[in-house]
Amino acid sequence: MDLQGLPMTQTSPTPGVFKRNPPIAGEAEAIEAAKNGDALAFSRLYALHKRRVYTLCLRMLGNVSEAEDMTQEAFLHLFRKIGSFRGESAFSTWLHRLTVNLVLMHLRKKGLNLVSLEETINPSEDDAPKRDFGSKDILLSGSVDRVALERAVASLPPGYRMVFVLHDVEGFEHNEIATMLDCSTGNSKSQLHKARLKLRELLRHPQPSTQPDSLKEMAL
Amino acid sequence: MTESKFETRPNTNMPDFDTMSPADFEQYLPDFFSNGDGHVSTDPRLQTFLAKNPDCAALVRDLEAIADTARSLFAPGYEPSDTVWSNIQTKLHQPNPDEDDDPPRR
Repeated sequence: MDLQGLPMTQTSPTPGVFKRNPPIAGEAEAIEAAKNGDALAFSRLYALHKRRVYTLCLRMLGNVSEAEDMTQEAFLHLFRKIGSFRGESAFSTWLHRLTVNLVLMHLRKKGLNLVSLEETINPSEDDAPKRDFGSKDILLSGSVDRVALERAVASLPPGYRMVFVLHDVEGFEHNEIATMLDCSTGNSKSQLHKARLKLRELLRHPQPSTQPDSLKEMAL
Repeated sequence: MTESKFETRPNTNMPDFDTMSPADFEQYLPDFFSNGDGHVSTDPRLQTFLAKNPDCAALVRDLEAIADTARSLFAPGYEPSDTVWSNIQTKLHQPNPDEDDDPPRR
């Protein structure tokens, strides 16, 4: 499989992700052993990284079944291409980017054109954040419950959720997101802002009954 | 954002911070957030405006709280089912289907 935009050898480290992905004890040895085809080393790497990869897939896709499929796909790619990992950046950063690119490619295949976020995955009028900028009934009071936010993120329209997860959760910069999604930096900034406005609205007026079952699982 | 907390170079696209309206503020808010460290509430250029416009200040506070809490979601919170690893093990022993771009089926 040719992963468009997915470097199988490292490029420059991603600062926002790298600093949040410190080395893991025993990981370097497992990587070297896995390069030599050691099955136990594969198992070790999977155990070390399965939760992070799966959580990333789940947040980006909002669907348990698809997230498990993409987790499987990400590790299969990892194990088949691990020989090209040279250790110039954190292994988890490399795996992280590999996973993001796989998920984006999967979404494109599904027909979700990420080239123009505004035109193709911009939510409908109903989904767009309300312009209650001057509203007096501020309920968040500067604090947000983690579980409530998780649930709200899961119910975001795909375009908003993608940029919010990549920037605010995963730590990618706008220029990196723009490259990944093939859009402008301004577009990424705009989508992020709209996503946060939508989340604010969802957190102030939660609508749990409208969530699909697959998304409810994310908040459990 | 490694150089400085807030962008200091002149930006002709920015509004006059002393005279901008709440609508202006809303329009430029994505840029305010993307400059500096993402905390608009501590931007010294905006302190007077935010003090005079409590609704704007509340909006900023809420959006910052959302972004701050989002960072805590980075920690992996979910675990895939055991089926995933079983499928990976099975497929690792099969020929590499490089031509097959379809996602794996479980």
